[in-house]
Amino acid sequence: MNTPSLTAEQPASKLVRVEKTFKRFTIGQRWEHTLLLISFTTLFLTGVPQKYRNMSWSQSLLSTPERLHTIQQIHHIAALLLIAEALFHLGRALILLFRRKLPGDMLPNWQDVRDAGQMLKYLLFLSKKKPSYGKYNFEQKVTYWFLFFGIGIMMVSGFIIWFPILVTRVLPGGVVPAALMAHSTEATVAAVFVVIWHFFHVHLERLNLSIFTGRLSEEEMRTYHSAEFERLTGQKAEEKPSGGSQ
Amino acid sequence: MANRSLHRFVGLAIGAILACIAILAVAVFLAAPAKAGPLKQETDAYCLSCHSKQDLSMTLPDGETLSLYVSGDTLNHSVHGQAGIECNACHTNITTYPHPQISFKNRRELSRSYYEACQKCHPDNYTKTLDSMHQKAAAAGNLNAPICTDCHGAHDVQPPAQPRTNVPQTCGKCHTQIEEQYKASVHGKALFNENNPDVPVCTDCHGVHNIHDPRTAQFRVQTPDLCASCHANKELMSKYGLSSDVYSLYQTSWHGVDISVYKANWPTIWHSSAVCTDCHGVHTILKADDPASSVNPQNLLATCQKCHPNAGPNWTAAWTGHNRISLQRTPALFYVDQFYISFTPFILLLCIIYVALQIFHAVVVRIRRSL
Repeated sequence: MNTPSLTAEQPASKLVRVEKTFKRFTIGQRWEHTLLLISFTTLFLTGVPQKYRNMSWSQSLLSTPERLHTIQQIHHIAALLLIAEALFHLGRALILLFRRKLPGDMLPNWQDVRDAGQMLKYLLFLSKKKPSYGKYNFEQKVTYWFLFFGIGIMMVSGFIIWFPILVTRVLPGGVVPAALMAHSTEATVAAVFVVIWHFFHVHLERLNLSIFTGRLSEEEMRTYHSAEFERLTGQKAEEKPSGGSQ
Repeated sequence: MANRSLHRFVGLAIGAILACIAILAVAVFLAAPAKAGPLKQETDAYCLSCHSKQDLSMTLPDGETLSLYVSGDTLNHSVHGQAGIECNACHTNITTYPHPQISFKNRRELSRSYYEACQKCHPDNYTKTLDSMHQKAAAAGNLNAPICTDCHGAHDVQPPAQPRTNVPQTCGKCHTQIEEQYKASVHGKALFNENNPDVPVCTDCHGVHNIHDPRTAQFRVQTPDLCASCHANKELMSKYGLSSDVYSLYQTSWHGVDISVYKANWPTIWHSSAVCTDCHGVHTILKADDPASSVNPQNLLATCQKCHPNAGPNWTAAWTGHNRISLQRTPALFYVDQFYISFTPFILLLCIIYVALQIFHAVVVRIRRSL
């Protein structure tokens, strides 16, 4: 986090390439993502053999009843980690909300719809202009909110099938098979979504490591978050020819 | 002179009468066996000349009286009598009178010795019995465990399962309580009251000669398949207005998946996930709408609580039954299902199309630049 944020005014040798970076994520958010990554992956890897436990490959993996028990224990521990993460995330958001300090960057708005329309035109070669994005573009908002609700479904349905007898003391019994189906299906949906949408945007389209480093370079800011760049610096994003296209 | 000729006449007459009597006597003697019935074997007749006496008996060393009476009629009407099989086919050690001394202490010992003769002609079925629960019980010292003759009879062997009611009645000679339960069950009632040819009798589930212990883990995990051999048969079930989906839907249930995993991998490890009989009963199976049925809605909670003791009244609805997803029966499941077959695939499809467009655009841009 202590990367020196060199400004243009500072003297620098012409031999040294000066790269200005912009802070994107706090250390807390970076840890949150790491916890999410670890728990999500663990839950996925321990969940799939359970979902397909009548398949032979799953049965050769879970070759003893003890192994099945162990994999369920690991799944439950990872679930507790994810629940802790989610509660921390929500709690922090609530505290910031009460202090009127919750940044609204991640909230969906009409600009996102316009951006999506413009992006679609751009992708269909109907327009040469890419939309000018703020701190989070609509793709990133889709990622956040898809997983926000997906993890919500996984947590609620997971709790129901973990403690079905407790839950049916209050809720009707029909929620148990419904939760079982939701848990099993939503897991697949979330995994497909992460691989197709998230992995494409952060690994293939460009390697975006800002969630680990916490920072974006000036060039990345100009190219992918031009509106945010202009808001922060007061400069025009297109003054410098952007290096990266698609 | 006249006196002498009279004398000669009387002598001739007496001779003739005596001759007639002698001929008649021989004729009667020769005709006698034929009159007693169509016994085909000379030895049968020979044996029966003594053993047809109803009071023929002897006392065994243990004090039991052994009746030696054999009814010619019974013998004649048995499958063996009809096939012309003679006494010493089974009683191999007896060929003539006087018989060799027998050394059996009691009747059971005698039966357990004589039944070994069955394997001479029925080696396959005899060998099967060696792998049976009854044989195990005998090996463990229970000499009352049944042998061939206890079920099939000895001198009165009849074709098996004719009529089928004979089967539960035969097993019920020892398994009295189970016979009573079976007779009161939906299967038993249909058999005894309606002479239904489709319902299972004991042997349909337990096997015939190699009857295994039904209390083992292996038998348990095979139970659903056993029931499915009739209950997954669409043609058979439609005769009675029953669903033939019960098995396939069970197999997708939590219980069914558990059991299929154990069956495939660990058939010898006991697993308590419910099989058909845990909920429906074993010999006591009743129609689900029978008020006494363990799966009648009124009794269902108590049935669930056998395994889930802390379950509350809402719990029974967690079991979707052997029913497909429907708005009426399982609304929560119905809406979740609808959500995942319509809304979610739609959103995912949009994502996929968008990413595909991005990839397409990037490829086109790159190709253009390289031109």
